[in-house]
Amino acid sequence: MSGRPALRDALIALAALVVILAIPFFHRSPAFEDFVIRVSAMALFATSLNLLVGTTGMVSFGHGMFYGFGAYAFGLLMQMTDLSLPVAAVLAVAMTTIAALIVGAICVRLGSDYFAFVTLAFQMLFYSIIISWQSLTGGDQGLRGGIPRREIFGFELASQLHLYQFCAVVAVLGLLALRHVTESRFGRTLRMIRDNEHRAAFLGVVLWRARLGAFTLAGGFAGLGGVLAALFVSGAYPELADWPNSGQAIFAVMLGGIGSFLGPTLGAMILLALNDAVTRVTEYHGLVLGLVILISALGLRRGVLDYLRLIRSRRAPSGESR
Amino acid sequence: MVSRKIGRRGVLATGAAGLVAAPWVAGAQAKTLRIGMQSIISGPIALLGTSSRNALMMEQDRINAAGGFLGRPIEFVFRDSKGQPQEAARVARELVNSTGCELLVDAEASSASFAVQEVVRDLGVACLHTNSETSSLTADPKIRAPTAFRVARQGVHDAVAGSLYLADFATAKKLNKWATCSPDYAYGRDTTAQYLQFLKQFKPDVEVITEAWPKLGQPDFTEVITKLIQAKPQALFSLLYAGDLSAFVNQASVYALFSQMTMATPNVDYPVMAAIKQLPAGIQSATRYVETFPDVPENKAWGQAYLKRWNERPTNWSWQNTVAMQFYEEAIKKANSLDGKALAAALTGMKIKTPFGADGTITMREDHTTVGYALGWGQTTPKEPFIIDIKPADWGKIVEMETEWKKQQKYI
Repeated sequence: MSGRPALRDALIALAALVVILAIPFFHRSPAFEDFVIRVSAMALFATSLNLLVGTTGMVSFGHGMFYGFGAYAFGLLMQMTDLSLPVAAVLAVAMTTIAALIVGAICVRLGSDYFAFVTLAFQMLFYSIIISWQSLTGGDQGLRGGIPRREIFGFELASQLHLYQFCAVVAVLGLLALRHVTESRFGRTLRMIRDNEHRAAFLGVVLWRARLGAFTLAGGFAGLGGVLAALFVSGAYPELADWPNSGQAIFAVMLGGIGSFLGPTLGAMILLALNDAVTRVTEYHGLVLGLVILISALGLRRGVLDYLRLIRSRRAPSGESR
Repeated sequence: MVSRKIGRRGVLATGAAGLVAAPWVAGAQAKTLRIGMQSIISGPIALLGTSSRNALMMEQDRINAAGGFLGRPIEFVFRDSKGQPQEAARVARELVNSTGCELLVDAEASSASFAVQEVVRDLGVACLHTNSETSSLTADPKIRAPTAFRVARQGVHDAVAGSLYLADFATAKKLNKWATCSPDYAYGRDTTAQYLQFLKQFKPDVEVITEAWPKLGQPDFTEVITKLIQAKPQALFSLLYAGDLSAFVNQASVYALFSQMTMATPNVDYPVMAAIKQLPAGIQSATRYVETFPDVPENKAWGQAYLKRWNERPTNWSWQNTVAMQFYEEAIKKANSLDGKALAAALTGMKIKTPFGADGTITMREDHTTVGYALGWGQTTPKEPFIIDIKPADWGKIVEMETEWKKQQKYI
């Protein structure tokens, strides 16, 4: 049953990847490539958050913790060991996943309000550890000296083109994996919990186990986004793990659309493009960004992609009747 | 109806596409030489960015009046990074990759300057750090980047010069019991430790009897002030700066703290003095920037020109950015190129004439940092020129102690 949609998703992902990878062969634009690299990190981060917010109905305010965790784990592994880059990346994601499992084990049984606050508390705790453990993390100065980007199979990630290709592949594969999770039986269970947790419980779903699974997976994928972010800035900084960064992911989810799988990715693109455009023009970027978010929240009342889907579904039946 | 709807949506889509595409179209090359400058231009420490920007605007006018760089007029592109490292990295890349900047002036505070350093390492463009004082940025060979240089005071220089002055001062006034009060983050804690290490080396009987670590931007210092007064030290060393320093002095005056202990701080700048209602006399202070030190007509003229144009006085950051442009000017003339490597070769070991030098010159040393800039200590007075009895620091001794420190850190 699920074979066909999975194949369709894989084909869409493949087509998207081919297009993204083909662009530099026709036209090299360093600014565009930087943008794609940043979107890759942010899209994984926001989409993984949406696995919690949109799919499972768990609003986490502390998701940035795992983004930062991935970035620091990867940066430290590359600086302190001679591991190859893919191995360090996989290890960093694995470590983040374990961290998410531990934090999740404490949080997921809580009611939704307390869950939100406790995730925030864990994030603040993690942030404070980064700031105070100066000998390891460099404190508020961040991980300095650059992340050595060792060659992988002839790929030199200090080169922008190679980093672009690497990030595009990782992001598309990561998003495809997340898509499979949301469309799988497990994903359907999560949606059932979101819609009616009592019914799910009566049907024999162990709520905390399913929620913990979602929380752990989401943490792992956020960690993967963090790895890409660390590669882009060639370092890791406490701001990556701070609460405004979690807020950015929540904005991306809300802006793009909570009910569409690609909504957070679109939201990430809009948010980053908006930030870049606005900081170029004015010092009052916070004011402008706040207004845009306010207008979209009050005007559209949903994310952009959700809004477009709503219009399409409204038009489709009326078109048929005409 | 339907077509109008599509039209509106089409307009929206085109607008959005334009917004997204703008940065990649804007990169078109012009004859004008663009220089990217990034700093904190918004928020509570915006003075860092604005007083740097003001100085650079003056330099832009001066350089363009003299024919620009390599016959091309220069134009600054100013960007606000909000002081966030990952944003600073993005902005630096954007300035070079999409705005077409061929030179960078990194006027960021410490942590963001480290992020810029890594971008510069990747891109190979020439960059002058003009505000970051953290020594390791250039002192640590692992962190130093081939085409990035610091045109700013360096933490370890200040620590040696300050400790030497304060050791003499403490000996003369018999001040052995000290207290410290510095901001609670890496700069405050590390640099305080560095000052104390040197101070104890020069005057071994100095004893620190209490330490206070207020948070950055803390509005109320009552707790800190009462703690300091109760400990009854003879002298207080502080690394508070900008708004924190003026707030502390204003509040401490109410508690008559300055009649009970002598205060010493390296961070007094003109705008800080302006924000203090009644500047107490006798605070031992370093000269970050004062018109009367070095006491040469060019320095005074520059300070007055700045005041006239911007209706406020320059900061330490203003002169540092000015000197950065003087270094660029000389290096570009010498290299006859804007290439990162060529400029790096020209800058290394370069000595320029400038009114902000201790002896009328400042040198860019082989380890990519400036030496020989005006550095002195004196004491405050409530009226102009605000800092008097300025004693210039001994650069021979500074370099000697700095070398020892670098060996301790295993940098050399």
